[in-house]
Amino acid sequence: MDLLPSQDQLDLIAAASDFLESRLPIEGIRQRADDPSAVDPDAWREGAELGLLTLGLDEEYGGSGRLLDDEALLFATLAEHLAPGPYLASTLGARVAAQCGDLPLATAIGEGSTLVGLAELRGDGCIGPDSIKGTFDLIDHAGAAYLLVASRQGTALVRATQFPDIGDLPSADPGSRLATATVDAATVSHWLPAETDPLWLRGTVLAAAGLAGLANALTTMSTEHAKLRVQFGRPIGVHQAIKHACADMAVAADASRSQMLFAAVCVQSGREDAAFQAYAAKAVATKAAIGNGAATIQVHGGMGYTYEHNAHLYLKRAHLLAHLFGEPAEVLAELLDQGAPQ
Amino acid sequence: MDLDFTDEQVEFRDEVRTWLAENKPREQRPDDAAGIREYDLGWQRTQWDGGWAGIAWPTEYGGGGLSLTQQLIWYEEYAAQGLPGIDATFVGLNHAGPTLMTRASEEQRAFHLPRILRGEAVWCQGFSEPDAGSDLASLRTRAVIDGDELVINGQKIWTSFANIADYQELLVRTDATGSKHEGITWAICDMRLPGIDVRPITTIEGGAEFCEVFYDDVRIPLSSVVGTIGDGWSVAMSTLSFERGTAFTANQVRLAKIVEDLIDFARDHLGPDGRRPAIADDQIARRLAEVRAAVASLRAMTYVGICDAMRTDTPGPRGSMLKLVYADLCKEIAALGMDIVGADALRRTSRWEPNGWVGYYYYAFSQSIGGGTSEIQRNIIGERMLGLPR
Ligand SMILES: Cc1cc2nc3c(=O)[nH]c(=O)nc-3n(C[C@H](O)[C@H](O)[C@H](O)COP(=O)(O)OP(=O)(O)OC[C@H]3O[C@@H](n4cnc5c(N)ncnc54)[C@H](O)[C@@H]3O)c2cc1C
Repeated sequence: MDLLPSQDQLDLIAAASDFLESRLPIEGIRQRADDPSAVDPDAWREGAELGLLTLGLDEEYGGSGRLLDDEALLFATLAEHLAPGPYLASTLGARVAAQCGDLPLATAIGEGSTLVGLAELRGDGCIGPDSIKGTFDLIDHAGAAYLLVASRQGTALVRATQFPDIGDLPSADPGSRLATATVDAATVSHWLPAETDPLWLRGTVLAAAGLAGLANALTTMSTEHAKLRVQFGRPIGVHQAIKHACADMAVAADASRSQMLFAAVCVQSGREDAAFQAYAAKAVATKAAIGNGAATIQVHGGMGYTYEHNAHLYLKRAHLLAHLFGEPAEVLAELLDQGAPQ
Repeated sequence: MDLDFTDEQVEFRDEVRTWLAENKPREQRPDDAAGIREYDLGWQRTQWDGGWAGIAWPTEYGGGGLSLTQQLIWYEEYAAQGLPGIDATFVGLNHAGPTLMTRASEEQRAFHLPRILRGEAVWCQGFSEPDAGSDLASLRTRAVIDGDELVINGQKIWTSFANIADYQELLVRTDATGSKHEGITWAICDMRLPGIDVRPITTIEGGAEFCEVFYDDVRIPLSSVVGTIGDGWSVAMSTLSFERGTAFTANQVRLAKIVEDLIDFARDHLGPDGRRPAIADDQIARRLAEVRAAVASLRAMTYVGICDAMRTDTPGPRGSMLKLVYADLCKEIAALGMDIVGADALRRTSRWEPNGWVGYYYYAFSQSIGGGTSEIQRNIIGERMLGLPR
């Protein structure tokens, strides 16, 4: 039993962090805010070259063949740096292509030349092996050739051209782009049934990993501010109202990180309670990220209420991730439906 | 990363499971003082006879010398079978014993450690005083050296199981001239000594194992001092670090069973609308799922903590996080239990009986007070983990 990152994993996190800090600084989100796409194409390709999209992909498809806990650590790191772009959909998209035996597509996605956006069914509809139907939120669809449409039964890749009437919507998260599209019977080009590979659970774990990363970054941001900001002649962190808020953030971040790693190992190894652990991870991490986001704004005072400060970018990303791979209420209902954990 | 257990660990789990199933106490725990003493010591004796006493203790002191992973397995199996928490024997096994191991003399260890393990002695912890709770170091119970004895005068409070204890780990002030952390002495107090007056305090849960202890010229031989005179603070801290290490693992693990029991209960018990089971109520269902998720994460944190401890060998402030999460969660689960129970909340029950949710609710309040309050844990996390200014 081991739930601590290995040296190898620590190196991986450090390399990803270095890249993100130098090539995708958070300021870029504000700079691109009016651009149709949140993605800087050059940085996207460089990230792909570094292997950010193919960490968990089998080597025969050009990936690194690493396990889900590595990917989870990477997604936590991406979120800590608010990396913009459809990393989640593209990573899972490459996996669908690979499992369907489409080497050229898997390679193209992995190299960063083909983007995959995410389509989330909102309301009634259906997602099946041949076609999909319903109204979808499209997340980061700009420039994407495919959209990933996931359900508990299986995951589809659908060509972007299958969504004829895309209406752009203002995105609450300045680091992402949002649109809506309704389709009657869009053709599925690749279908991966859950029995072959539980992609829904992988997506759930990676969303949880992102949320855990946000919760962690927010803790650090608040703690640093609490040490530096002086009022009444002393750092505000001497006051328990602030100190305890930071302590609670640290605990929430630790809980969500521990659980998402636990879940990653369970999903990876196909443990019987994998779904239980994945849903628990998403539920805990959602609460942690949103709670820490709210607390961080408060700890920063007036500055925390400004567009210029990063706190809201984290909170907004948290709300975005919270609505991927199941609505928060659905995740809880699914969790309660599971048998007792192993 | 992995959650795999080795073949030996899997075998060990089977062995534990079988032994517990065959040997666990079957009767409900009594609620009178004498009955509790007999029950808890009896169960300890059974564990001793079966070779399972003091799983966390090193073998040189007669314990099981189990690895942290084995201890985790033991606690998981222990909880899964719904076994009683370690209660009257807790201080002996998890505070006094470990302190004696690290700080006591050869004779003190040889006399006391086997008695704890064999279920022959109950220990209690005489630390808190009316004016020294969170600020423990401000304690004032006086001890004056007279020949080869310490003469004690003063009062302790909140001493769990003082009414049935044989011995007490007693913190006294032998010198009031220096800083408050200096001049404290840690002594073994025989609870049958003349001059000791134990008065039970009834708790909100209805239990009376919680006591005030008065000392009127109580004479303790100097040979009962552990460590040196005036060095009691550091002796006491060696206990607390054990407490924040793995001693709470059992509680954390047991919480998972409690949540599963509550979910089962909510499937049977009529809900707020008086027609459908409680679990059909959206709010209750949502809260059940939330505590289920939170308990899962506490377990994951416990696992991470164990991995951490195996790597670093020191119980850091991480134990404070676990204690804090545990206490908050325990209260959240208990409050949810009350809402599921509905109007039956008017009926007093004991947490020791099946579905004793009302008793559990009132008991849960103790968990964020005893062993260091949740506010103190937040101070520790803020200052020692996050480095925030004091
Ligand atoms: C079930 C139970 C069993 C116990 N068993 C034992 C035992 O066997 N032996 C023993 O010696 N003691 C025992 N105790 C006592 C326990 O250790 C103390 O109750 C605890 O340390 C708090 O002290 P206090 O009760 O004096 O509260 P106080 O210290 O007076 O605290 C009152 C409130 O003020 C808050 N507070 C105090 N200081 C601070 C601060 N610096 N920052 C923020 N908030 C603060 C506390 O968190 C609390 O909410 C037990 C307590 C309980 C509930």
